[in-house]
Amino acid sequence: MPSRERLQALRYNLIPDHLIGEILTKRWTDNAIPFLVLVAVIALFGTAIPGFFNPFSLQESTRQLGEFAIVVIGLTVVMLGGGIDLSVGSIFALATFASVGSFFILGLPVWVAFLAALATGALFGAINGYLVGFLRLRAFLTTLVTFIIGRAVFDILVVQFGAAIQMSFASSDAWDFIGDGTLAGLSVPVIAAGLLALVTHVTLTRARIGWHILAVGGSRRSAHNAGIKVRRTVFLTYVFSGLCSGAAGFLIACRLSGAGPGTGAGLEILALTAAVVGGNALGGGRGSVVKGLMGAVIVLVMTNGLIRLGYGTGTNQMVLGIMLAVAVTIDIRWLKNRHKVLNEVYVAPVYLKMGETQSAEPQSGTPFALNSRLAAAESIGLGALEGPEDVILDADDHLYCGTRHGEIVRFFAPDYTRSEVFAHVGGFPLGLAFDRDGNLISCVGAMGLYKIAPDRTVTRLSAETRRSLTSVQDDARLRDPNDLDIAPDGRIYFTDSTKRYDAHDWTLDSIENRGTGRLLVYDPRDGSTKTLLDGYRYTNGVCMAHDGKSLYFAESWACRIHRYWLEGPKAGTAECVIKDMPGYTDNINRASDGTYWMAWLGMRTPSFDLSLRHPAMRKRMTRRLPQDDWLFPNINTGGIVKFDDSGRILQTFGDLTGENHPMVTSMREHKGELFIGGILNNRIGRYRIEGADPEWTGMRAYWGTRA
Amino acid sequence: MIFDPILDLFRGKAVTIPPMDGAFRPNTALDEAPVLALLDEPDNLAVLGNELVASSGNALYRLVPGAEPRPLQRFAAPVTALAVSAGGQLAVALETGALLVDGVAQHLLPEVRAITGLAFSADGALWLTNGSAEHAPSDWAADLMKRRATGSIWVRRAEGQPFHKVAQDLAWPNGLCPRPGGAIAFSESWRHRVMELDAGGGLKPLIEMIPGYPARISPAPDGGAVLAVFAPRNRLIEFVLQETHYRADMIREVPRDYWIAPALASGRSFLEPLQCGGIRTMGVHKPWSPSRSWGLVVRLDRQMNPVSSAHSRANGHRHGVCSAIVHAGRLVVASKGGDVIVTLPAEG
Repeated sequence: MPSRERLQALRYNLIPDHLIGEILTKRWTDNAIPFLVLVAVIALFGTAIPGFFNPFSLQESTRQLGEFAIVVIGLTVVMLGGGIDLSVGSIFALATFASVGSFFILGLPVWVAFLAALATGALFGAINGYLVGFLRLRAFLTTLVTFIIGRAVFDILVVQFGAAIQMSFASSDAWDFIGDGTLAGLSVPVIAAGLLALVTHVTLTRARIGWHILAVGGSRRSAHNAGIKVRRTVFLTYVFSGLCSGAAGFLIACRLSGAGPGTGAGLEILALTAAVVGGNALGGGRGSVVKGLMGAVIVLVMTNGLIRLGYGTGTNQMVLGIMLAVAVTIDIRWLKNRHKVLNEVYVAPVYLKMGETQSAEPQSGTPFALNSRLAAAESIGLGALEGPEDVILDADDHLYCGTRHGEIVRFFAPDYTRSEVFAHVGGFPLGLAFDRDGNLISCVGAMGLYKIAPDRTVTRLSAETRRSLTSVQDDARLRDPNDLDIAPDGRIYFTDSTKRYDAHDWTLDSIENRGTGRLLVYDPRDGSTKTLLDGYRYTNGVCMAHDGKSLYFAESWACRIHRYWLEGPKAGTAECVIKDMPGYTDNINRASDGTYWMAWLGMRTPSFDLSLRHPAMRKRMTRRLPQDDWLFPNINTGGIVKFDDSGRILQTFGDLTGENHPMVTSMREHKGELFIGGILNNRIGRYRIEGADPEWTGMRAYWGTRA
Repeated sequence: MIFDPILDLFRGKAVTIPPMDGAFRPNTALDEAPVLALLDEPDNLAVLGNELVASSGNALYRLVPGAEPRPLQRFAAPVTALAVSAGGQLAVALETGALLVDGVAQHLLPEVRAITGLAFSADGALWLTNGSAEHAPSDWAADLMKRRATGSIWVRRAEGQPFHKVAQDLAWPNGLCPRPGGAIAFSESWRHRVMELDAGGGLKPLIEMIPGYPARISPAPDGGAVLAVFAPRNRLIEFVLQETHYRADMIREVPRDYWIAPALASGRSFLEPLQCGGIRTMGVHKPWSPSRSWGLVVRLDRQMNPVSSAHSRANGHRHGVCSAIVHAGRLVVASKGGDVIVTLPAEG
């Protein structure tokens, strides 16, 4: 192997690129960018400003942060509900004046001052909420108006009563404690902000009203259709924001013991920047309190840091503006392109050198040589059927198959021209098997293992197994259950082909070629599901050996058949029986003469085999080309192969005309005939096998004469 | 978007190809066209003494409507190009690089290995395109996949004079069409364009961004021309052309019929590469799916602008059109990949 190829093999097989895609599917990755910015900002100003981390300076900063964070939490909730509140600064200022006025001018107690602040906030919030929520005015303009009016009222009041406040001698220990004291080293604003954040977070993520707010922000119309009182919900978000601004106003009143023309000036811009920089979407529905808090810390550290480094207000505003612009851009681009990024990074191919194979070309003379014998098969359900992955016949000769519409269709014997929907399961029913009692068991792609009783009741048997310890993406879920067979003791052995792709994306797994296929067993006695084997390249067909002591299973992308021992000295281990076939292996089923049928869902091509040795090329291909142009294994040609217990190939059937059975995913022998299914086909084939036992049926072979 | 060049570094630049639109809008005209004759791999069409002739393998066939093609003349090697002069002289180029005019071998420099096109201009000069200085005509796929541009154009001004080179470093020139004023138009296949070489030796593009690999051009009586396009452009192939290591390994290890490369016909063996869109689903092969082969003939007006086209799409069989010619009021099209010669209306 050339050294370049060896390096590629090491690089792509040892470095787990697929984890990037799996991590990106997590919702919490939305927090990654704000969090990195937060760390960067603190690191930057922490090193640039001497004494940034000293306790006193930190105490003062956090006090301010507490007040600011409370405002930001309020604004975050409004934004989550799909609105915006520009009036937080003026409400904040008015609330400050309300507390200061109550306390210093009217000489009322501290709690009354606090209530006065809250009432002011609630009143203005309610005005906003009424106009925006119930009268459905534009949030931006409405709150801009309240902002201007509120500010004007505040300016008049400050001029009028400023002197009176300055002259007052009112004092209170409680007032001073809220302004200056600490509790267990934490200042009151910090504690207040912490509590509020906690309560708000729990409400948003766990309580009914929180879900309503997110739903309204996510899609107003859908929320309305779902029966949510949209107007009331919007109203409440503004009231909440007003209350938060009011509370913050009270806190700053205690800290500064006064109100001046500068109180709360520019706060709306700071708060808005904080909420957006934290990663809350301007459009609503996406965001969290934690994001708001991160934004608050970023903005406050940045503005205070710049002031302490000696930059003027102009620079400060400029930096804020730029941050806001960048955050909005990233937010919109990310929201729009997240799924594209995910698509592009999700496919993470690995290196594989496929073994040399014997040719399957018609004139090659090998046991694999394909022919066009299946072209002679009669078609069943042509035009009425889509995607019969597996087919099976019951004791009364009726024919069953799954379809891509999630149905199990039954064709009636003897001519199979009439059909009915036997049961609707959903998902994509793939592998089928009858148990001893005549229940139809099916592996349903994207759903799990299901049982359909003769009376058509559908029962879920299993949809999960134990999660593996190193998984990032939850692999307990069965993503692509593919085929099954039932042991004499009733246990159901089945495969889950891949942990990386959903059932309908099964072909993408061949591009990646990562071994994540599993063999599992479901035990009907206790309802448990256990993983027996893991790490195969697309596990597929399963078939009990005729003696019931072992089972065969197919590993599609590696073109192999393995034998898994259920009893005997090798119990619990698997060994490869046939390797390096020229076709991709699919379902395996019993043949009447004590051998086995196996389907090829597609054929290897030299160009695709070569691409498996070029993972970097495949990676670039998935990024640079639309999916329709990707190089695929040839699944336009398949076939049927017969093999015996020693792994010898006995016969091969194909349809090189490509008309009837371009690809084959399953075949079932029944009374001297072979019934052929294909996951991408629109018919079932019926082919008479020369020299086959005309009495043999699968039901009898498995369950004896009783069935 | 302005960020695209930066983002491309991380996500990879998208591979794009010109769409089949406007004059190239797909249809099924070629698939529905009446058959003139069945002939294995018909390559170059020409009119000899008012009769239609076609080259196929080592021989030249006369095409008579309603009858089997009759062999006219056989050669030692496959015929790669034909031309008939106004005076009835027949020039035939062979796979070996030999050029015969009325059966007499002409002297050529060894650099001329792949005569892909021949044409007599009105003044009696004989022009030839040499596709490659390295590969024989049948090795065209290798020339493309190795990204060569060693083709050249030669001309013999009058009988008895030697050929001299008038243009070089061309990417598989293929097909010639004399133009008024001593100029000559030719296809430059690997660069997807039709160029014009004027009397002074200057080159200028006539048609660019053709959604396929252009082949021969023949003049039409109305002053326009007919352009055969022998294979479609395909994003995967364009992508592989940029993948140095994969391409080198493919050329070394994979049999040529199974390369990811344009082809005159496809879908004949299960060992050929398959693209996602080409998967046969529910018994249907999507006609617009990406394909290595396609049938395409383009009618050009007097200014050599594409006017209309006839197609055989991904699910058709009349692919690999290397030559089309207007004869007796019809457009005769030779589908080398479909082993058939069909006729279309001259105007369309």
